Amino acid sequence: MSAATPQTSDAIRRAEIDLSLRHPVMFFFTSGAAWLAVAILLGIISSAKVHSPGFLSDWGFLSYGRVQPAHMNALIYGWGCQAAFGALVWLMARLSRQTCRAAGLILTAGHVWNFSVSLGVICILAGKGTGIPWMEMPVFAWVPMLLAYAAIAIWSMIQFKVRPAGHVFISQWYILAALIWFPWVFATAHIFVHGFSGSPLMAAAINAWYRSALLFLFFLPAGIAAAYYLIPKVTGRPVYSYTLSSLGFWSLAIIAPWAGMQKLAGAPIPNFLPYVGAAATILVAIPAIAVAVNLLKTAAGAPETVVNSPTLLFTVAGLFGLLVTGFAATFLNTPAALPLSQFSLSQYGFDILALYGFFSFVAFGVIYFVVPRVTRREWLSSRLIKMHFFLSIYGVVTIAIVAIFGGLMQGHAQEDFKQPWENAMTYSYPYAVAITLAWCFLLFSNVWFFMHLALMWLRLGRRSSHPTLLGHGHHDDLHDATHGPEGDIDNAGPGSAPAHSHAH
Amino acid sequence: MIDPSKPDLEESVNVTEAHERVIRGAAAASRESKLKENGAEPISLWVLIMCAVPLLAAGWTLGKAGKLFSYKDITREGYVRLIPDDGEGVKLPPVPWLEASIKKGHKEYSKCTGCHGADGKGDGASYPSLAGSKWVNGETEVFAMVILNGLTGPTSSGKTYGVMPAQSAGLSGESLAHLMNYIRHSFGNDASGGGSKPEAVVTKEMGATALEISGKRAKAGAAVTGDELTADHHKNLPGTPIDPKMMVDPITLEPAEAK
Repeated sequence: MSAATPQTSDAIRRAEIDLSLRHPVMFFFTSGAAWLAVAILLGIISSAKVHSPGFLSDWGFLSYGRVQPAHMNALIYGWGCQAAFGALVWLMARLSRQTCRAAGLILTAGHVWNFSVSLGVICILAGKGTGIPWMEMPVFAWVPMLLAYAAIAIWSMIQFKVRPAGHVFISQWYILAALIWFPWVFATAHIFVHGFSGSPLMAAAINAWYRSALLFLFFLPAGIAAAYYLIPKVTGRPVYSYTLSSLGFWSLAIIAPWAGMQKLAGAPIPNFLPYVGAAATILVAIPAIAVAVNLLKTAAGAPETVVNSPTLLFTVAGLFGLLVTGFAATFLNTPAALPLSQFSLSQYGFDILALYGFFSFVAFGVIYFVVPRVTRREWLSSRLIKMHFFLSIYGVVTIAIVAIFGGLMQGHAQEDFKQPWENAMTYSYPYAVAITLAWCFLLFSNVWFFMHLALMWLRLGRRSSHPTLLGHGHHDDLHDATHGPEGDIDNAGPGSAPAHSHAH
Repeated sequence: MIDPSKPDLEESVNVTEAHERVIRGAAAASRESKLKENGAEPISLWVLIMCAVPLLAAGWTLGKAGKLFSYKDITREGYVRLIPDDGEGVKLPPVPWLEASIKKGHKEYSKCTGCHGADGKGDGASYPSLAGSKWVNGETEVFAMVILNGLTGPTSSGKTYGVMPAQSAGLSGESLAHLMNYIRHSFGNDASGGGSKPEAVVTKEMGATALEISGKRAKAGAAVTGDELTADHHKNLPGTPIDPKMMVDPITLEPAEAK
């Protein structure tokens, strides 16, 4: 072996970083994927109860008031947060060119987080929930979660601090923002709602702010950070416009903290609060547009790569999800639509759109990108990946469209005070059935995703240096649609591989 | 070739040209192709137009916010819709006139609970009880004058409490009538004397007359005393009596037919 060229030393560095983070990152991804399956199962049950109240009604712990919050908490803290942690930790290490020296601690903290969420969700199902949306887990769960978060995040900040001087990547802006905003949002909301015995009305307002802030100040920047890394990385193209990048980041930082209280429009709080919240939520469309346009323009320069790469396919779909989220935020919060969307399925549809249609898709993209690197195995089957992608698309598009539109119909029927209340239920019935069906699609797709990921975690992936690609490339060796061509074994390196043809 | 300031995006490992097996993990890196330059595309017009839509929508929404940073304005008017009187709106079922009046009077009474208590019993020390009071249950003009002008000196029971302040500010004749009906038919009071004599209730017109009488008092503005009540006001308020059992709309108190 000759002396390391700049290229090979670079590759060595990356391999070291990947290796150092293998266990925590794989833990976050696999346990997140398992939580996603749990969340979807609970989602099916809770959605079924909307249209068929008799479904599983013999079991008290599966009553709607418990399953619905358990569903959201499992989705947010079990899947969303853990997927975000895995992605943020890995991205920051890579972008700061630092191996992780605290993998054991992060792994331990990950287990603490996971244990707290498990206990919290069990308590919700046992009827011990607090009844405060998105904060239903009993009070004892929050402190260990915050401490675990601190242990997970602090090393990424240190890595950023000691990075080689020079360029700060756009992804790093968003990672840092997400890492700093999360404890602010999380601690503020929980201290004010659970810690101080203030006015219950104010607690409701803080809770409304918290739900929106968690979405816009944590999941949005975490997903955007990943997308800003993945798309230029995989397409090999520079980010389309740095001006748009700055616009996207700073508009999000300025606007998003104001959003949220429109959920209390009509409640006896100062009148300007809900309307400022609604206006801010509308304005979140601007960072969404800036980011999505910027990255889609970047990806548009390499359309073939997008079609072939599982990572890009999911990430690009997620960016479309971001655009739609922006439009939905604008549409649902105008004064005309606000009364219709407030007490109907629409709010749920918007949350799922942002959490799943945007964030989860980008998180899947990250997982398809990172896992082969940290496990040094390739994905087993491109069919499984395609199935995961298309079923997820069908599922999430159905939920978002049906819940938002059906919610507006439901809200419209609720406003019609001359009709009996059951009328509104009749209106929302077919939409609720469609949502149940869509969650079934998502469950089916994610069970396979979880198994695929678990096999990777067991290091049972393909031993090849060829990435698993989706489409039929122009080269003969890409024609195997199952998982791409076989290459040299053990991912040992490119040297002995005559089959490497993608650099023609 | 490699920009040291952008190390990770500037990977230019070309696997077909690397003729030796490099270290583990390098293969994964081989898929990460090269980044050329930082993008410097200007923001195109259609992106700006796309951003202008939410800006306009947000402006519209802020316009509905009323006075910004005003902590006094609670809930925008019209957000909770009232049932419009379009002739086909759902009418509430009619109730007897007295019942509707008492219900309205109950709301007026909220100003009185601070002293006389929700049960009208007062506290026996500073605030007299309204239950069983001779002035409350007796001639309506006496009671009206006490409410409108306040009272100083001994009450009908002969005991002296503190000074009762005047309650006439913002009180319309109609509100006064409902309030009096509520008090005279609550807390165990029964101003109808066991029967249903028409004069047992105070009508809107009687309330308005009470305001007039109160304005024409010799010592207008001052609290009344027991002596003045006995001397000048020992009578019922003039006005046409009303049948307390007449069925009316509970909101407007206009006569309504039962469906």
